[in-house]
Amino acid sequence: MKPIDLNIIGAKGAIAEEAEGKWGMAIDEDLCTGCQACVAACAMENNISFVGEEDAAYGRTMHWIRIERFWEGEYPDVRTTSFQPMLCQQCGHAPCEPVCPVFATVHSQADELNLQVYNRCVGTRYCGNNCPYQVRAFNWRDYERPEPLNNQLNPDVTVRQRGVMEKCTFCIQRIHQAEDTAKSEGRELQDGEFDPACAQACPADAIVFGRVDDPDSKVSQLSRQKRGVKHLEDLATLPRITYLKES
Amino acid sequence: MVKKIFSWLISPLGWISLLILALIVFSGIIWGINLTQITPEQPIEFPHDRHISFGIQCLYCHQGASRGPVAGLPTQTKCWGCHQQLGITKTSVLLKPLVQAIEKNEPIQWIPVATVPDFVKFNHRPHIAASLNCEACHGDLSKLTIYENPQILNMGWCLDCHVEKAGDDYEKLVKLTDCGTCHY
Repeated sequence: MKPIDLNIIGAKGAIAEEAEGKWGMAIDEDLCTGCQACVAACAMENNISFVGEEDAAYGRTMHWIRIERFWEGEYPDVRTTSFQPMLCQQCGHAPCEPVCPVFATVHSQADELNLQVYNRCVGTRYCGNNCPYQVRAFNWRDYERPEPLNNQLNPDVTVRQRGVMEKCTFCIQRIHQAEDTAKSEGRELQDGEFDPACAQACPADAIVFGRVDDPDSKVSQLSRQKRGVKHLEDLATLPRITYLKES
Repeated sequence: MVKKIFSWLISPLGWISLLILALIVFSGIIWGINLTQITPEQPIEFPHDRHISFGIQCLYCHQGASRGPVAGLPTQTKCWGCHQQLGITKTSVLLKPLVQAIEKNEPIQWIPVATVPDFVKFNHRPHIAASLNCEACHGDLSKLTIYENPQILNMGWCLDCHVEKAGDDYEKLVKLTDCGTCHY
């Protein structure tokens, strides 16, 4: 029997409730050195604009992944905690999705990812305000790319225009490319065959990407560790990223 | 003032001028839409029909189609491979740009016609792998000289075929109608 597509009638998450997801990530905070290589790699891979000094001061920086750092204790005894790379958690029950008036941010049934459909987006920024992780970035302007930089644009990723919300896609272009290669060779996609830009760039191998629905994959094995924590899990967002941290 | 304009508008002269204005706007819109549908001029008036009548396969020149996302347009050396053996190449006026391109060692600046916008990610390989023929989307080129799109390449047209090909297979339908399959 054909299952009912609850996404159409707006009861999002009802089917996502028990779905465990497809793609996921494990980020080891104990390994992360906070070098920002993932941030740079992500910006290069995904054609992210450089907003410049003035807009950055307004808090309009555009990063799909950022390194968060926190402090513990009062002034003389200040202790820094480990660095925390924060990116879209690709929630199974995403708060950004039901608030979009034009269905520009929708849940992909095929890839179990949160999609941002740029050509649908009208820029209400409602999703960005409703995201508890604050990982969505809005294009406030058409930011200029100075002369040689326009040559490094990735042709596999849309160049976004002004007035469009954007966010981490788990490098869906690489997922599709790897799936396509595997299919053309007539085999199944193997674990660790490809990585998103951030995981590829990470010198400490702190970011591991793979299938979370496959219990033998590296990311599933890491996620089952005792150190694993999912951020803001009490909001029932069903995040797909497990943070590993010795507490 | 406003009353004066209104009373003029409901007079016969006002009606006619309104009608003329509406006609100008309407024809402007039609003209604008028409402009976007005109096939651009190519550097060489390439006769597809003649090449196909010689039995040359599409994939001989557009060889990327079976392997990757982009089918590709042939370089000048690809053309020269056959054309240097033909006497007509040196004498024909239409083939002058090709001879010049070879002499200068510059690629021919073909203008892609079957294109999709930047926010659409099209890949030829799965379409060929799904045993679709070139003419399913590009039309019968054995009757066409310079390439023209047989239909407007829009999303409704893509989806119609995707839904039809998926048939009763629900999993396939989900994959083929997922936003993330083409837009990212």
